[in-house]
Amino acid sequence: MKIKRRDFLRMGTGAVVATMAGASGLLTWAPRALAQTIAVSLTAMKGNVTQIDGVATFMFGFSNTGLLTVPGPTIICQAGDTILLALSNTLNTPVVIAIPGTSIKLTAPAGGTTQISFAAPAPGSYLYCDTQNSGVNRIMGLHGSLVVMPAGIKNQAFSGGPTFKRQFKWLLGNVDPVWGNAVQANGDNYVASIVPSSFQPRYFTVNGNSYDKTGEPNSALYGLYNDAALVRLMNAGGMVHSPHFHGNHVEICSINRQNFGSNRKQKDVCSMYPLDCRDVIYPFKRPPDAWPAVINEVQNYPMHCHSEMSQTAGGGMYPHGMHCMLTLGTAPTTEPDLTLGVAQLP
Amino acid sequence: MTNLFGSDAYVKMAMMNGGGMAGGGMGGGCGPAGITGNCGLHPDAPATPGIVTPDIEFFRVTFMQGNQVINGVNVPVWGFNDGAAGGGGMGGGFPAPAIRVRQGQIVHTHLNAMAMMVPHTIHHHGIEPATFNDGVGHYSFDVFGDYTYQWRASQAGTYFYHCHVNTVLHAEMGMYGALIVDPPTGPGTAFVGGPAYDVEAIWAVDDIDPTWHCLPWNAALCGGDAGFNNFNPTLFCINGLGADLTQTDPTVAITVPRGQTLLLRYIMAGYVPQRVKFPAGIGAVSVISEDGRPLAAPQTLVAGSSVSMTSAERYEFIIKPTTAGTFPVDIAYFNYRAISGTLNQIGTIRSVITVT
Repeated sequence: MKIKRRDFLRMGTGAVVATMAGASGLLTWAPRALAQTIAVSLTAMKGNVTQIDGVATFMFGFSNTGLLTVPGPTIICQAGDTILLALSNTLNTPVVIAIPGTSIKLTAPAGGTTQISFAAPAPGSYLYCDTQNSGVNRIMGLHGSLVVMPAGIKNQAFSGGPTFKRQFKWLLGNVDPVWGNAVQANGDNYVASIVPSSFQPRYFTVNGNSYDKTGEPNSALYGLYNDAALVRLMNAGGMVHSPHFHGNHVEICSINRQNFGSNRKQKDVCSMYPLDCRDVIYPFKRPPDAWPAVINEVQNYPMHCHSEMSQTAGGGMYPHGMHCMLTLGTAPTTEPDLTLGVAQLP
Repeated sequence: MTNLFGSDAYVKMAMMNGGGMAGGGMGGGCGPAGITGNCGLHPDAPATPGIVTPDIEFFRVTFMQGNQVINGVNVPVWGFNDGAAGGGGMGGGFPAPAIRVRQGQIVHTHLNAMAMMVPHTIHHHGIEPATFNDGVGHYSFDVFGDYTYQWRASQAGTYFYHCHVNTVLHAEMGMYGALIVDPPTGPGTAFVGGPAYDVEAIWAVDDIDPTWHCLPWNAALCGGDAGFNNFNPTLFCINGLGADLTQTDPTVAITVPRGQTLLLRYIMAGYVPQRVKFPAGIGAVSVISEDGRPLAAPQTLVAGSSVSMTSAERYEFIIKPTTAGTFPVDIAYFNYRAISGTLNQIGTIRSVITVT
């Protein structure tokens, strides 16, 4: 349902809760007894993003801070909530926000604004992204994530699902700097002229960062033994990824909101096709094949994509690509945002 | 030793090797060698913590001067030879000899990486040992010399092992082999409580970009642009054999008598997505295990089904054919670039299951 800006502003007073997402982090999350209306205001903008090798790449992005962020902020809500989503487009090309897997979609013309109100879709992990030009706009950086928690539940991604101590979000992304250079040189609307099959990713990111830059609290997994973590993987990139977990197998909890309440597969690889959203449990078990057995000693492992082209930056520099740190046996010094609220609950 | 979490994560390879290596052309590649610059490597040859007498042990020696003919194309390859069988570091093929153990055994994998072009590691993929024995250099160390990996097999299943140094190149060059964990009773049963089988086949299904195999052995080892984000395989293989042999060579083509049970262990050893299509003539196919973990209940695929997979997955398929004949198994490969989500096929390879 589209709403007029005047109505949107009216609803923007009183019961509306403003979002406070950081550049790459999740909103602080606490389940509520009652549904709320969540107001989200995003601006489509452009600028340079510095990659892990120091190269500045021209990108688009969704921001709620006035500064370019790739990916855009994470929207978190619970089932039953209403989202009021406003989009201000500073680009000289139309911008779409769609949520694949739903019919939710809004379009802002070049330089224009628009807004929409919609009911939170079913609990799960979602991408929001610009779906125009066969995905070119999404790869250019116009993407972010939406997390819908079940109403009133703090430690399950869906009712009847496995419980977790903490939850994390890994938004996988790719950067093609040749595309960025072309758009910068020819104008924003050049995205419509890019041939999608020319895609040649050169940087590979998790929550916008690569390799040892992925230490921020929503990317790096920390936990005491048996502190199960829910990891929401979402592939906004244009490459088929194959995240491989060291240290523990993961349980596959859901694939594109198809939830597995029992008989979950245990995998050390979680296939991630473009636009896929898959939730897994990293159980933080003691590494089962260690000898001597691990008691409580801290162990460090990587998660990395096994489609190894993604383990590079700028055509080399292995392993400066799609990677996150897994630290077993110690709690994080800074909790991921989603968990901060959970821990404070009675 | 330093690592990702250390304060000084960079070691000058030139210092380690006394001022650089004049190993031009020795890497199985087609260009000059020689390490320059600072590498994010951690060469070491430490003692194994808590080492005990193993139940079983394997010896692997690295080589980087091999060649393998794949579908008529002579491809430079690297790999691991079996040191216990007299294999040295001066040439060989891929995949490397399998490591096969039983659940519950304490295993030693001795790695000898003494050749000119080091370092290397062994990561037992899907096996989950302590960090020190996981074979990931940037989390522990890269082996320059000898190291004995110690681990205990906790779960029967299909795994593989590979070098985890500059993996994007080393795994592509062929530095991998099958790793099978049998149940305590040994081969013949997939896992404790799992199905028995009469015939076993192991397929490591790979994709090859020949241009990568002509790169200098240390391409992008210390930074730089070697084009490793751009992978365009044109050769496809099963167990290192190209399409000219995979329908006839008995190390790949499968023969199973009617009424017997076949266990096909499928190792997805490539980088681009694959889809294996089973012939309708062999009947239903059951997936009993993925990534070394039994499924809670076997997943039965109707006759003629396909299974899609991405890099480094493993599948165990049980097949009980009842009709005699020769049936093709077709594997399709797809471009890893698929921004719209639609996969585009770039290659195929075929093998056969002959039911007698």
